[in-house]
Amino acid sequence: MVKPLTVDRIVKHYGDKTAVNGLSFEVSEGEIYGLLGANGAGKTTTMRMILGLIMPDEGEVRYFGKPYGKEQLSMLGYLPEERGLYPKIRVSDQLIYLAQLRGMSRRDADASLRRWLEKFEVPEYYGKKVEELSKGNQQKIQFIAAVIHRPKIVILDEAFSGLDPVNVELLKTAVKELRDSGTSMVFSTHRMEHVEELCENITILDRSRPVLQGSIREIKKRFPRERVVIAADQPIQGLETVPGVRSVTKEGDGYALVIDSPETAQAVLRHALAQGPVRHFELLEPTLNEIFIKTVGERHE
Amino acid sequence: MSKLGTVIRFTLLNKLRSRSFVVMTVIFVILSMVLGNLPYLIEQLGSEDKVHSVGYMAGQHPEIVQALQAYYASREKADIRLEPGASSEEELKRLVQEGEISGYLTFRDNPAAGFPTVTYHSKNALDSGPSRSLSDALRAVKIDLLARDVGLTEEAKARLLSPVDFRSEQVLTEEKSGRTPAEQVANIGLAYVLVILLFMSIMITGQLIATEVTAEKSSRVMEIIVTSVPPLTQMFGKVLGTFFAAIIQIGVIVGALLVNLSLPHNSGILAGIGIDLEALDPRIAVYAIVFFLAGFFLYAMLYAAIGSIVSRTEELGQATAPITVLSLAGFYIAMFGLNTPDSPLVVFSSYFPFFAPFIAVLRETVGAPAWWESVLSLAILLVSILALGWLSAKIYRTGVLMYGKRPTLKELIKAMKAYKV
Repeated sequence: MVKPLTVDRIVKHYGDKTAVNGLSFEVSEGEIYGLLGANGAGKTTTMRMILGLIMPDEGEVRYFGKPYGKEQLSMLGYLPEERGLYPKIRVSDQLIYLAQLRGMSRRDADASLRRWLEKFEVPEYYGKKVEELSKGNQQKIQFIAAVIHRPKIVILDEAFSGLDPVNVELLKTAVKELRDSGTSMVFSTHRMEHVEELCENITILDRSRPVLQGSIREIKKRFPRERVVIAADQPIQGLETVPGVRSVTKEGDGYALVIDSPETAQAVLRHALAQGPVRHFELLEPTLNEIFIKTVGERHE
Repeated sequence: MSKLGTVIRFTLLNKLRSRSFVVMTVIFVILSMVLGNLPYLIEQLGSEDKVHSVGYMAGQHPEIVQALQAYYASREKADIRLEPGASSEEELKRLVQEGEISGYLTFRDNPAAGFPTVTYHSKNALDSGPSRSLSDALRAVKIDLLARDVGLTEEAKARLLSPVDFRSEQVLTEEKSGRTPAEQVANIGLAYVLVILLFMSIMITGQLIATEVTAEKSSRVMEIIVTSVPPLTQMFGKVLGTFFAAIIQIGVIVGALLVNLSLPHNSGILAGIGIDLEALDPRIAVYAIVFFLAGFFLYAMLYAAIGSIVSRTEELGQATAPITVLSLAGFYIAMFGLNTPDSPLVVFSSYFPFFAPFIAVLRETVGAPAWWESVLSLAILLVSILALGWLSAKIYRTGVLMYGKRPTLKELIKAMKAYKV
């Protein structure tokens, strides 16, 4: 089956600087693809190329197998990182306008807008001006602007930044619903917990190059489990003396350890059991955050 | 195409709804109403049918005083009434102070001229009404007295006084008939109005377009819009939408002016000033409209392009200054050329695309360009519009994605290459 979005070895130079260097990935129907990277790693340039704002110097982006063209515009939705709406124009006027520009009829756009406002429990914003809304609510309107025309491919740049936890949940639910209804999404963020929750496959970009690609589960398997949490009713003495333990931190009534290899974990457990019953023991898999810092951070050293 | 319509509609509706637009239109409508009634108001205020009483010294040149009295007596609406003579200048001064008389006349002999020097003393030396009337009257009196002295017959006097029947008519190279001075006056008036109208439209709507583009960019709506519509569609939609808004505004203002001018109390005033709207050539109207449209779009696209490279509205004034200077230069050359439509500067300017909208229409109206001259300046203008439209669209496409500091020309060209627009 043809993938909704295929990014094929795209390269982009700005003068003598390379912004994106040989990036490839595919997004299936109903998939949220995570695009991670430090600031300036090339995420925005990649998204702009997917949106057709700029053309790649090499390689190409395909939409359902077809190259970029004007007819592709209406199937794309975009939530830019820098939020922007007309401050002095009513929500209904500008969202219907934006939907019309994406090729929707006035009436469909109106119905779609009302449905989204209902979903976000803010139907009263229909006739309000954007400048009258709080920042969080402007975000909701911005999100509606990206998806009002039922796009097949949505680009979400830092979708949840600046939102309170309640609104983050609200938008997250909306994103999941879109995914379940078959929309393909490219999702960029610095918040790893969102990526872990929403995405299956990711690319980590570092200074224009993709340094880590694949499904999150696969990636995590590639990184050794190096953290152990252990807790007992009595204090455990001498954990740092076990060979292979790099550091010990006391956390609450337990200990967090960083170890050299998974085998060391067993030695730690034996060491603790020798002192009495163990209430809690876990060999943790690495978080995406750690993987990110490890991958990107090490290269910066 | 339907997207172009959507952009036009959105731009137009928001313009018409915006408070500043409505306020500005209302102010201009009020101004044009005042302007339309101005001749009437001036006439009402200025032409008080007041009769000025003027005193004189008894015994000084009685024959002149008598002739003056006879002169004013023979007039239908005499604005001067000569009061019986007073005996001394002190008394006359007192009468002026008390407001009994507006002023008084004194005579001093002037043998060289054969007629005394007459002085009109009044509180207000600038009070031109009675002075002019008295001066006219005295000239008539002098001629009468002189004619009587040399014994001219009435017939000879009439022949002497009748003005030379002198006319001027413009010679045109084409088969078109030359214009009479009356037509020329009407045409100069028309050219004046057209040039001012074009200049105002360019300045106001140009700034509007640039401001709007920059505002869209700085509020980052642009990012969504450029991913929905081809930038060319968006730019033309914006320019056209603003154009229609401007046309509606101008229409309302000019309409208000015309309605006021056609009010009954204003009829006859236009004719009185010598403006005969019938004398205008319909061909000129066509030229005017074509050049107006061409000029408008030429400048509007430049403003859109400039607006796209600026990130903040505060920087806009500085960035648009060069275009403002260009249009100002065109405007002033046109003003200068009203009376010298064939000077080399004007002729050259009519081929320079940024000045042509002002100058070519002026030459057409006031001067007598050969047909190929008009065609050439229009052709240059149209080619420039296409070239600039293309260039502006490219700048626009690149500019809307460049944030931060206003890019230099070099940076812009580099970015254009990088974006492959």
